[in-house]
Amino acid sequence: MTAPLDAAAARTAPPAVRTRDLRLTLESEAGEVNILRGIDLTVGQGETVGIVGPSGSGKTSLLMVVGGLEQATGGTVEVAGQDLGVLDEDGLARFRRENLGIVFQDFHLIPTMSALENVAVALEFAGRKDAFARAAEELAAVGLSHRTGHYPGQLSGGEQQRVALARAFAGSPRLLLADEPTGNLDEHTSDQIVDLLFGMHAREGTTLLLVTHQRSLAERCGRMLTIRDGLVAQDRPALRQAGD
Amino acid sequence: MASGLALSCRIAWRDLAGGPGPGFRGLAIFLACLVLGVTAIAAVGSLSRSFVAGLDRDGVKLLGGDVDLRLTHRAAEPEQLAWLAGKSRARSDVIEMRTMARPLDPKARRSLAELKAVDGAYPLAGSLVTDPALPLPGILAARDGVWGAAVDGNLLTRLGLKTGDRVRVGEAEFAIRAVIVKEPDRVASVFSFGPRLMISRDALPATGLVQPGSQIRYHHRLLLPRGVSVPAFIEDLKERFPDAGWRIRAADEAAPGVRRFVDRLSLFMGFVGLTVLLVGGIGITNAVSGYLDRRAATIATLKCIGAAGRLIFAVYLIQVLILAAVGVTLGLALGAALPWLGVVTFGHLLPVAPEPGIHPTALATAAAFGLLSAVTFALWPLARAREVRAGDLFRDRVAPARRRPRTEYLVLIGLGGAALAALTVATAGDRWFAYWFVGGAILFLSVLRGAAWAVGRLARACKRPPGARLRLVVANLGRPDSMVPSVVTSLGLGLAVLVAVALIDANMTRQVTERLPERAPAFFFLDIQPDQVAAFDAAVTAVDGTANLRRVPSLRGRITRIDGRPVDQVEIAADSQWAIRGDRALTYAATRPEASAIVAGEWWPADYSGPPLISLDANLARGFGIGLGDTLTLNVLGRPITATVASLREIDWRSLRFDFAIIFAPGTLEGAPHSHVAAVEAPASAEDAVERAVADRFHNVSAIRVREALEAAARIMEGVSWAVRGVAAVTIAAGALVLAGTIAAGHRRRVYDAVVFKVLGAGRGRVLGGYLLEYGALGLLTAIVGAGVGTAAAWGIVVHLMNSDWAFDAPAALSTALFCLAVTLLMGLYGTWRAMGQKAMPHLRNQ
Repeated sequence: MTAPLDAAAARTAPPAVRTRDLRLTLESEAGEVNILRGIDLTVGQGETVGIVGPSGSGKTSLLMVVGGLEQATGGTVEVAGQDLGVLDEDGLARFRRENLGIVFQDFHLIPTMSALENVAVALEFAGRKDAFARAAEELAAVGLSHRTGHYPGQLSGGEQQRVALARAFAGSPRLLLADEPTGNLDEHTSDQIVDLLFGMHAREGTTLLLVTHQRSLAERCGRMLTIRDGLVAQDRPALRQAGD
Repeated sequence: MASGLALSCRIAWRDLAGGPGPGFRGLAIFLACLVLGVTAIAAVGSLSRSFVAGLDRDGVKLLGGDVDLRLTHRAAEPEQLAWLAGKSRARSDVIEMRTMARPLDPKARRSLAELKAVDGAYPLAGSLVTDPALPLPGILAARDGVWGAAVDGNLLTRLGLKTGDRVRVGEAEFAIRAVIVKEPDRVASVFSFGPRLMISRDALPATGLVQPGSQIRYHHRLLLPRGVSVPAFIEDLKERFPDAGWRIRAADEAAPGVRRFVDRLSLFMGFVGLTVLLVGGIGITNAVSGYLDRRAATIATLKCIGAAGRLIFAVYLIQVLILAAVGVTLGLALGAALPWLGVVTFGHLLPVAPEPGIHPTALATAAAFGLLSAVTFALWPLARAREVRAGDLFRDRVAPARRRPRTEYLVLIGLGGAALAALTVATAGDRWFAYWFVGGAILFLSVLRGAAWAVGRLARACKRPPGARLRLVVANLGRPDSMVPSVVTSLGLGLAVLVAVALIDANMTRQVTERLPERAPAFFFLDIQPDQVAAFDAAVTAVDGTANLRRVPSLRGRITRIDGRPVDQVEIAADSQWAIRGDRALTYAATRPEASAIVAGEWWPADYSGPPLISLDANLARGFGIGLGDTLTLNVLGRPITATVASLREIDWRSLRFDFAIIFAPGTLEGAPHSHVAAVEAPASAEDAVERAVADRFHNVSAIRVREALEAAARIMEGVSWAVRGVAAVTIAAGALVLAGTIAAGHRRRVYDAVVFKVLGAGRGRVLGGYLLEYGALGLLTAIVGAGVGTAAAWGIVVHLMNSDWAFDAPAALSTALFCLAVTLLMGLYGTWRAMGQKAMPHLRNQ
């Protein structure tokens, strides 16, 4: 397990995310759509950033570009010092398995694999010999050691999201991308998941980019970014942090 | 690399073993298509090898010995027989000829019969089964001055006789003492002129049938001492009697006609099996495509957590291989078991009982085809699956990739196709036909695919057709995931095969049942002795209604050398091999026959006298690779005659007119003992009178009723064509499977559409009517395109491969096309009926 970064290391390490004039334009039947229109953003190692904004503003697209899942059409994006623009498809896949964890609103577990296998598979991609032992540890960390052999269809929504969290954190990623991680959960379960997410962040020191519609959730991050019309409309410390 | 493969295998297996995930049920069509294709190929291969094994096993029985020496017109010389006796442990001499069997009642019908006169040693191998079961010498022996005979039950039926009655053959009378139930050396011939009549060789002189030049076949059959090699004996024999002129056959060539028939039939059936696999291949593509489309979210997830595209491709390729292995194994089991069951159950009913067994080569070939086609046809969807956009997971709408696969995968698909073509050519018994099959398959698949594309384009170009129902039909036909391409290609190909088979069959049957009788004479007469010709001509022409009597001298000879080289050292075209297989009918003439036209050289003067000259069939000359001025050497009655080719004639054998491939100039054959053959035209009502006029007066002359022979040929063709159609129908079954898969794949869309229509107030009848219209249009399009392609294929085969006349048989094509339309409508109706029964709310919620 990776130890949390200390202050000195954080100062010398490259930023977790750095974008310069980041642009994303997609073709559609109605013509070109400018989704990101020049985003400049630097996120330091270990930071937590809540990203908010109205629907269609470009929040998720920003996450996709940072995750190497969408190719920027302009500008640059660096994650952990790596320029994603120079990597091919296989390079991006390798980069993701070594550096990124992703949590989705819809969990996206593999329905034909058990909870343990869902967590282990990501570690197997990374060539970890102890994939299953490590996966079991992670599931225990999210309170699911009694459900390891269950398939996603046999788990509740909250349990599925815990498995997804375990999968995302299992490889000790440098950067965790979370897209509406509580969007499909009830309030009580959402609170549990959010506590887990921040708890694991605190344990691992992972940089966190969290897209949400819930301002209250974004306020739990150290920094809050508001995206509007493909641009950063506001970038400020979260109120809770500012109040501390 | 190895660890990557191990990881791919682990994930592929884990994913499969985790239970039926999304889209797994659609793979049933994958398995069904593969099982059907592999079963067809394995079954055809196994059955064919069972027949060949049966022929090999029974070779000595079918031949009547280890070696058979056959001479025409004459028996072997005493010196030759003495040498044979010294070299063998047993010998049997058998004489065969055609004759007329006549009941004692002068008003009763006569019948052509295949006469077999056997000696006391017959049969050397196997046993003759008779009813009543009596020893053969006792049956055939003379009792109270009357010789005995054993006959086919068929002959009794034809003559209206029973066991114990008497029958006249030539000048002699025979008591029918037994019915032949099984004759060990009666080789299954596809066609024979008459039923068997077996007598003693000692009785033959009494018949008076042995006349100079009569078409009599003398067989000398030998059992060699144990340990003597048959090929070495044959070499020895050839060396000892190089000009004996006999046809030598060993047990491995006991039934060459049957062997050729089995080879041809299995070649054709094998191609049908491959077509089934080809049609099923489209089903495989669709099934894998549907499966991977439903797995798009899983693929995107795997990519998000770091799986490279190559790993995705490998994982699903391994799954396809696992399923293909299951399908191939099932197909092989069925393909091995069905012929085995068939052979064990029905084998004894066949003239040559096939040898039941497992045939590894046939199964290995089928397995190779199955695996290769499964992988080749799955490559396209597999290659597209790696293009699934992982980022779509964020949008909650993971769409299946619709991009064209990367170049390296297109190359792989091309290589897979090339390997399938190479395997087809390498495993086919006839390379030339295999090339035609591969070329035809590529052409017709392209045409069908092109037609499907054109229909889609047309539907998309069609702006706002009148009426909501028609608009919906046109929209569904033109939509990107329309059923048109796969249904038109797969069901269309199956239909094309069936239409082609139906049309070829209709053309060949028409040739035999309509066209030939128009031109053909009513009778052929054999073995007319030179001293009978005047009386024969008078007797035949005296019958009212007879016309165009033609009579020519005839004797038989074997081609032994072509332009000085022994025939076994000459490369002879496949379509000319028949001429060197046995004895050829020869004639001589001063003037050119009317039926054929000279295409090279000149006909000799009517009063020609000089070195031997021949006029040769131009096609045979091409097949032999010789021309004017070259020579042919023939063994006629044991004497080699070398003649120079003076002219070439184009002969239309289909006319059934009298003609000969080899005609000698006057001056060579006249001195040899020979008989005459004749043909005469007569109305059906005069046939009995003609037969009586000849059979009663000329006991040695055989009369062949052409109408009966053609009817017998038509019956055989009908039997074969039903078998062929039955196998060809399997291609339609494969097409129907693809259609079922396509309908199943579109089920969700249809359910949703039906639900929306119902919510919008459309009645059940209206929605159903709309879908029926869509399936009707799809079925009609498929029927038109498939029937068109099938007709073009049949035309090409009839006109160019069979060199026959072509006529379009509309009922044959239309009935087959209508069948296809009905299949589409029925399956569509079933699918729609299921969709209509769905409750609205769950589907609207899920969307």
